[in-house]
Amino acid sequence: MSSRTTFIGAVEIGTSKISVLVGEYTGRELAIIGRGECSSRGVIKGTVVDYKAASESTHTALQQAERDAGERIDTVFLAQTGGHLEGFYNEAAVNVKASDNMIEPGDVQTVCDLAKAKQLPAGRVVVHHIRRPFRVDGRLVPGSPENLVGQRLDVGYWTVHGQEQRLADNIHVIRGFNLEVRELVLSGLASGHMVTSAEERQHGVLAIDLGAGTTDFVLYRDGAPHTTGVVPVGGTHLTNDLSIGLRLTEGQAEKLKLRFGRASVVTKDKAQKVWLDGNFAIGDRQFSQQAIEQITCARTWELLEVVKKKLGNAFTPDTCAAGVVLTGGTAKLPGLAEAAAKVFGVPAHLGEAPSWVNENMRDPGYHTALGLLYYGVSAQAEKPGPGRRGGFFSGVKRLFANS
Amino acid sequence: MTTPAANASASRTWRDIPQPLKPRAMSRGGRWRLAMALVRTGSAVALGGTALWGAWRVAAALGENSRAMPAAAKAVPVKHLELRTAGGGVLDSGWLRRTLALPAGAALMELDLDRLKERLLAEGQVQSANLTRHFPDRLVAQIAERSPVARVRAAAPGAAERMFLVARDGVVYPGSGYDEALLDSLPWLDGFALVRAGAGFRPIRGMDVVSDLLARAQYEAGHLYAEWSVVSLARLESDREIEVVTRAGSTVVFSTRSDFFPQLAKLDYMRDYLAANFPPVRVRIDFTLGREVPVAFAPLAPGADARATAPSLSPGFNVSPSSQPKH
Repeated sequence: MSSRTTFIGAVEIGTSKISVLVGEYTGRELAIIGRGECSSRGVIKGTVVDYKAASESTHTALQQAERDAGERIDTVFLAQTGGHLEGFYNEAAVNVKASDNMIEPGDVQTVCDLAKAKQLPAGRVVVHHIRRPFRVDGRLVPGSPENLVGQRLDVGYWTVHGQEQRLADNIHVIRGFNLEVRELVLSGLASGHMVTSAEERQHGVLAIDLGAGTTDFVLYRDGAPHTTGVVPVGGTHLTNDLSIGLRLTEGQAEKLKLRFGRASVVTKDKAQKVWLDGNFAIGDRQFSQQAIEQITCARTWELLEVVKKKLGNAFTPDTCAAGVVLTGGTAKLPGLAEAAAKVFGVPAHLGEAPSWVNENMRDPGYHTALGLLYYGVSAQAEKPGPGRRGGFFSGVKRLFANS
Repeated sequence: MTTPAANASASRTWRDIPQPLKPRAMSRGGRWRLAMALVRTGSAVALGGTALWGAWRVAAALGENSRAMPAAAKAVPVKHLELRTAGGGVLDSGWLRRTLALPAGAALMELDLDRLKERLLAEGQVQSANLTRHFPDRLVAQIAERSPVARVRAAAPGAAERMFLVARDGVVYPGSGYDEALLDSLPWLDGFALVRAGAGFRPIRGMDVVSDLLARAQYEAGHLYAEWSVVSLARLESDREIEVVTRAGSTVVFSTRSDFFPQLAKLDYMRDYLAANFPPVRVRIDFTLGREVPVAFAPLAPGADARATAPSLSPGFNVSPSSQPKH
């Protein structure tokens, strides 16, 4: 690995805000040295719909982060979300070539190439090839199968793919600041990696990142991502429901959602009212708290049901022993963990950043950006290639402690 | 099972999406960063180029250092002497060989270039010289030569009287390789004291002014210049006058206080006027009085020709023994 220090930016172009973190990567360690944040414009459900507006807000956040860091960013890890992202599973098997049945690197390469060989429809490009554990004669092999003895080697890949034009739009927003996109990382993978522990991933855990415009989910099994997905529904839809249901402006509905919204109905008294502003000013109105809770609860449950439906057979309570971990800005909605526990039938809790993350970056809104750096740099380090050495994770452990 | 190459994934990945963007699609900040990146790249290239050039220069300097040379290279004798002379030079490689007088079998690395350079510069005809070794066996002399503007007769220390040439800067030198016709066209100098210095003479003072007159006459009124035989510097320092004697015995006095061109123009007019209205006579025309130009007439001696009498002017040279350098 190169000993040259590079300054890497982690950029999440979200529907409600754009977050940028700057990391100083020495090849062995990463320290967070800068942060930038800006309200998002020109982005709907994770997709750039107004290039100029999205560029301006992204570049503002990038400039702010660079100023905060006092350094120039060289490359960027970019989070990717949106309803256009889909995934499928494909597996392959090879007979071990060697006469002594010892698996060689060629066998591993062959089976991996075969598993990734499935063609995509026109206009679709691969974002991630996520490998599931190898199997040697049906036996699960968490690590590399090289030098193990067996007759048959199996492997499967969960391939995440997206629409080329939409991905290009996101990349071009970054290129408009003359920055290179080094890694494109699924938002759910980034935040999921941040809020789940290695032990939870080993036992099976479902990480759900409820953002403003989209909800990303990742199901981990056997220590690796098993299934990913994106639902183009998020916190703004709750706001929209309140706006329509209670005949409010978007701003008023957002205010009510933040103050009184819940993922479960706890108010029994229909007559219990809450004030819109509570400042006794002219125009201040009263609303039924139960009605607010019913609206937000209904949409939240529906959203969680959609996630469960999209997971299909991949999710069963038995294979998700560590339960459900919730993150993202909308995860702060009270009662969401209880709702998720009921929908999925497993324990659920709000995800927290690891203890070594600095206090001012523990908000769920930063989990994706933090995970981007963590996941992106980890993925770089894990890539086999000349000059790459092990022991990276011991260094990565201190990545965020310095921030 | 098929081979991996045959089954390699043909699906495009996000890395296949071209990242470069046209500057017009960039924000102001992006364009600024792009410009700065280009400046940084340019600076790095310039710095690298400078470093390479420096390294090359250092290597060349080390190559010139005889102590850094292997013994075998030191023993290679000089086989080629090359003379490179600036435009208008008349010296040749034979002159170079005679002047340097290198001992037979002299090794290139053993030559004392400074001493050889002094030897070349000792010839007054050489204005500047630069000697370089070209490995393995070539010595190159690059010189700039002086051009003669006049001539004198004098006796060098311990030698018989002979003709010397005078350059624009007043340097007196024997001259070598010049065309005989060119030498014949040069006027003789008179009326000054030639001072010995070492094996030669000290430069003649005031030659820059005389050279200006001669050059002006040569290029603006060639037919007048062709008639000039002797140029006297006798009253140059005292009266700022230059006296020119033509082949026909006439005398023209030029003033250095005013531009030579009007004086030459007047002379040309007067020459034509005299030729048209008077029989051939010796005249003395004086341009030192400004707008008044006195002309004195004298009868022309039959058969008088300045060219034939030019050597007789040489006694006018005053070689001052008292000003010889003390040894």
